[in-house]
Amino acid sequence: MTESRPATAAAAHEADSSRAVLRDALVLGGNRIPFARAGGPYAGISNQDLLTAVLEGLVARFGLQGERLGEIAGGAVLKLAADLNLTRESALGTPLDARTPAIDMGRACATGLESVVHVSNRIQLGQIDSAIACGVDSASDSPIEVTPRLRRTLHRAFAAKTPLQRIKALGAIRPGDLAPVPPRNSEPRTGLSMGEHMALTAAEWGITRQAQDELALASHQKLAAAYEAGFLDDLVTGYRGLGRDQNLRADSSMEKLASLKPVFGVKSPQVAEPTMTAGNSTPLSDGASAVLLGSAEWAAEHDLTPLARVVDARISAVDFVHGEEGLLMAPAYAVPELLDANGMTLQDVDLYEIHEAFASTVLATLAAWESEEFCRHKLGRDSALGSIDRDRLNVTGSSLAAGHPFAATGGRIVATLAKLLHQRALETGRPQRGLISVCAAAGQGSVALLESVTS
Amino acid sequence: MSDERIKDLTDVPSFPAVYAAALLPRRGDAPRTSREKRLPGTAYRVRKVRIDAGRAADFDHLMGGPATENVHPGVLHVLAFPISLALMARGDFPFPLLGLVHLRNSVLQHRPVAVGELVDVECRVRELRPHRKGHTFEAVSTILAQDGEIIATDVSTYLAKGTSSSGSSSSSSPSSAAGPSAGSSDQGSDHRDFAPPRPTARWSLPADTGRRYAEVSGDVNPIHMSGLSAKAFGFPRAIAHGMYTASRAFTESRVDLSRPLRWDVSFDAPVTLPGSVLVAYDEDRDSGTTRCVGWRPAKGEKAPRRCFEVEIQQLG
Repeated sequence: MTESRPATAAAAHEADSSRAVLRDALVLGGNRIPFARAGGPYAGISNQDLLTAVLEGLVARFGLQGERLGEIAGGAVLKLAADLNLTRESALGTPLDARTPAIDMGRACATGLESVVHVSNRIQLGQIDSAIACGVDSASDSPIEVTPRLRRTLHRAFAAKTPLQRIKALGAIRPGDLAPVPPRNSEPRTGLSMGEHMALTAAEWGITRQAQDELALASHQKLAAAYEAGFLDDLVTGYRGLGRDQNLRADSSMEKLASLKPVFGVKSPQVAEPTMTAGNSTPLSDGASAVLLGSAEWAAEHDLTPLARVVDARISAVDFVHGEEGLLMAPAYAVPELLDANGMTLQDVDLYEIHEAFASTVLATLAAWESEEFCRHKLGRDSALGSIDRDRLNVTGSSLAAGHPFAATGGRIVATLAKLLHQRALETGRPQRGLISVCAAAGQGSVALLESVTS
Repeated sequence: MSDERIKDLTDVPSFPAVYAAALLPRRGDAPRTSREKRLPGTAYRVRKVRIDAGRAADFDHLMGGPATENVHPGVLHVLAFPISLALMARGDFPFPLLGLVHLRNSVLQHRPVAVGELVDVECRVRELRPHRKGHTFEAVSTILAQDGEIIATDVSTYLAKGTSSSGSSSSSSPSSAAGPSAGSSDQGSDHRDFAPPRPTARWSLPADTGRRYAEVSGDVNPIHMSGLSAKAFGFPRAIAHGMYTASRAFTESRVDLSRPLRWDVSFDAPVTLPGSVLVAYDEDRDSGTTRCVGWRPAKGEKAPRRCFEVEIQQLG
């Protein structure tokens, strides 16, 4: 909170004058349904059901009935092949004008944030004036496929010209080919699950069980407090009898968290003392979220109050395949790049939203930024980025408490942060800047910078 | 090599026929002294063998990689292997095919081979050497272009157990299997000293790993096919084909197939099926070398055992 820091807009302006032609992409609000645990109240509900419900809620909240929007961007990570136009099909089930185009996006757990960045880029460039960014996932209704052998055999049979050829092709089917194939839980190139990868990284950075449990407890306590304070009233719409996130444990305690057995890293000889439990890791979840964005003109025309603007975004990927870097460490590289491009230090950020894939992901990322060695050798900087004020991290809780329906997490974070920034700017009379960091499968990361708007 | 005779085969022999022939008693099965051991001076050649695109794609997919236009050198190995095997199943071959242990494999590839290309394949055996557990020899396969240019050389080093120069010919070790199996018997005591590196991946190999490899390679060696067939040949469980582990490590090393390369493998403890192998990769970008080591993790009292080591070097 230094006095002398430059306003982001001015710094960006100086850094790159071409930005002057870009107009603001403004976050106008959001809507999500409470996140459920896999196999919970949303079992038997499809991705399209969940996404339609969340879009309908957004339309109702902002009076968008019959509105023709510039674009709806969204996606799901666990997606059925038949859902190739999941976002468009969901939008067609809402009172929005049926002429609103939609696009399906995908970058694993960063799908939601990437959808926000995609539509904000379009708005900034003047290609569209309004948009919804959304995301959904249902671990309860994830696709189950047939084996590649059965698929190829069936295709050969379909392509056969005579019944005899067809029977011959089908005769190649073996009992083992008939076993259903659920989505794989491991990285295709390493055979290790995300949790096992994270356990290796956590051990490397010496992230303790205590620190992870503390972060998890704080997440639950902060989210519970946010619900109590009514902060989520205009962000969450109840669904299927669920009013709050099912995973939220307001009465959790260090004792309860400490009683849980480690589940990740227990098979790794490199992890001397496994620390990652079901309590400090996100559960498989069902849920959906949506964010409304628009230009200043469009917001004014529709009498909507802008909360924040999407300032900038960066992406990165790490080479985790042969162990050069930890699977979930990509944001540690993208954030410094984003801050540099906007003339900011890590400490210039007012609110940090670091997606809690695992408590250890957040802690390893922070440890990396505090490490001289990492910042010098891996980031090529003169010194460490330094530590952050932990009171400004995930101030209304994050994925450890809310749950993590993969593609819905980005929308949850953007809508929450935009509202927080707006509120705090009004309270302090100063512009507030928020950083979002989301790690994703296959060693990827997406990060974005938001700034409060008050006018 | 001056007295070498080249015999042209009309086609690549089929594995089942070669294995069936290997089960018949032959001259080589009778105990002999080392002075009598001589490798056949005959080379086998098959001309105009087409690199089948579909088979190459199946091979790539099994190894977890995308189907490539330039073939994985493992495809060249499996193309030549039945020809080598036919040579080793000949009546004048001095060792029983039963019980050969694949110690090392080395491929030197001078240029890429595209799917659909026609090649000639020559196989010969050479370099008979005494070993404290028997003899070693090399099966050498040469892949030639239609203009006679050598494209690749594949050298497989085998140990024939129980025929050592000291005369101790009786061996009842579990390796007395049908056809060459991957593994090492010349490691002796050093496996106890193996300190595994930090693993970068885990291979969870299901029970049908050997059958899947047989589908893409044609190699139906019973020790890889099922627990029951492996038992029949003295193995407590089915073991993964050495060239499967070597080929998978090659694929995962993300090699540029458009450049000349070396692919060296050495085998140690067998990989039993179903089972897990931890692997670690070590890339040296400056020299264009990737090393991969695979091992059985420690279990209870059992120390970790190295199963294979692979080194791939991009040349030029």
